Amino acid sequence: MVEIRRSVKYPESNDSYRIGQRPKVKVSIVDYGVGNLHSIRKALELAGARPVIESNVRNLLDSEVMIFPGVGAFDPAAEKLEPYKEIILDRLNAGTPCLGICIGTHILFEKSEEGSIPGLGFMKGKVEKLHSEKVPHIGWNEVTTDDKYFSGVESPYFYFAHSYKANPEEDIVKGTTEYYETFPSIMRKKNTVAVQFHPEKSGASGAIFLKNFVKFIEEKL
Amino acid sequence: MLTKRIIPCLDVTDGKVVKGVKFQNLKGIGYPPDLAHIYEQQGADEITFLDITASSDARETLLNIVEKTAEKIFVPLTVGGGIRSKEDMRSALKAGADKVSINTAAVQNPSIISECAEEFGSQCVVVAIDAKKDEDSWSVYTHGGRNKIEMDVVDWAQKVEDLGAGEILLTSMDADGTTDGYDLKLTEKVADQVNIPVIASGGCGTLEHIYEVFSQTNASAALAASIFHYGTYTVSDVKTYLRDRGVLVR
Repeated sequence: MVEIRRSVKYPESNDSYRIGQRPKVKVSIVDYGVGNLHSIRKALELAGARPVIESNVRNLLDSEVMIFPGVGAFDPAAEKLEPYKEIILDRLNAGTPCLGICIGTHILFEKSEEGSIPGLGFMKGKVEKLHSEKVPHIGWNEVTTDDKYFSGVESPYFYFAHSYKANPEEDIVKGTTEYYETFPSIMRKKNTVAVQFHPEKSGASGAIFLKNFVKFIEEKL
Repeated sequence: MLTKRIIPCLDVTDGKVVKGVKFQNLKGIGYPPDLAHIYEQQGADEITFLDITASSDARETLLNIVEKTAEKIFVPLTVGGGIRSKEDMRSALKAGADKVSINTAAVQNPSIISECAEEFGSQCVVVAIDAKKDEDSWSVYTHGGRNKIEMDVVDWAQKVEDLGAGEILLTSMDADGTTDGYDLKLTEKVADQVNIPVIASGGCGTLEHIYEVFSQTNASAALAASIFHYGTYTVSDVKTYLRDRGVLVR
């Protein structure tokens, strides 16, 4: 038997309802109506948060933390947010914590080559098709970063599944990944963290990343 | 750099894994969510469930299993077998699958590929191709390998890419079940033709077979069932073996 080199250890979710502990932070996951939200919900729960899935975008307007998950295609997601675009934008600019994942990151930008509907425009720049001839970029790839959100992460490999990448026009890139080109894999602006990889699909590394995300929110709220 | 993926595959029927599984001293044998969790802990890069039953009751059971698995594992989960429509795909995704593989339905109605890619994104849409060798080419088979389609595998692979498939799960029916190794020629041909990732499947029996498919073809991932189910090797053994030979793995 060869010893297992990387056994997967997830952070234990702590029961914060015990006396003397603060309640878990509520995070609202936007449901665009397509795709799998089980993993992100469960992963945020294990990271110490209290996730709720919101199919009514209106409920986002007074949520403490907004999560734009990485499922589906650009237009359906942008369309879902369209009616509340200005308010969401105001909240992001005012510093409401937010996590964007993959498509959820793309909709934070002004526009995307993938769709025809404008994005939120919170992050300046646009989303472009990857330059590689082999697209989509699917699988585990390295994130090069020294950002605090990766503190404690042992393996630098995260799971990616995308054909488009953000091309920001402001200085918000905190980490990059190489796939025939170097593209941004984590960006941060105000209290919004936007990643290209899927932390909820990235095993132990993703779990630690999300735990850091929840920890930093708790410090801010 | 992008790493090569190792994907254990579980054949599921009526909520249970059917291929003989001979793990020792492990609980929950035969219960897909537990097995998926074990493979994840060993370092599996993804998990694939193939539903080999067809009845609608069994479909409900499968979705239930997918839901339980998605709560337990934090690597991507692909579900395939009997997916006939966009609505089938939606239910599988809603239940917790990250990707869905389609085979017969795609051959019968290729536009299902583009419809699903538009709605759910290409990265969700895996087209499974079952290939069997003729004299000097390979033909496409559907209905779990029962029906031969007069269509060249390489042409079909190109077509599914053009229609928006995100990945191809390429199974050699000649190699499947032999444990004599992947069909390297087939894998090479298809992986060189298309620009989307190709997952090699069928025939894996040793660690060397996995090394071969990565060193001799452009396959992005290798799928294997029996070597893991019978406990011959763990996913971690595979990774160590590949890493020692210079293949980049997680």
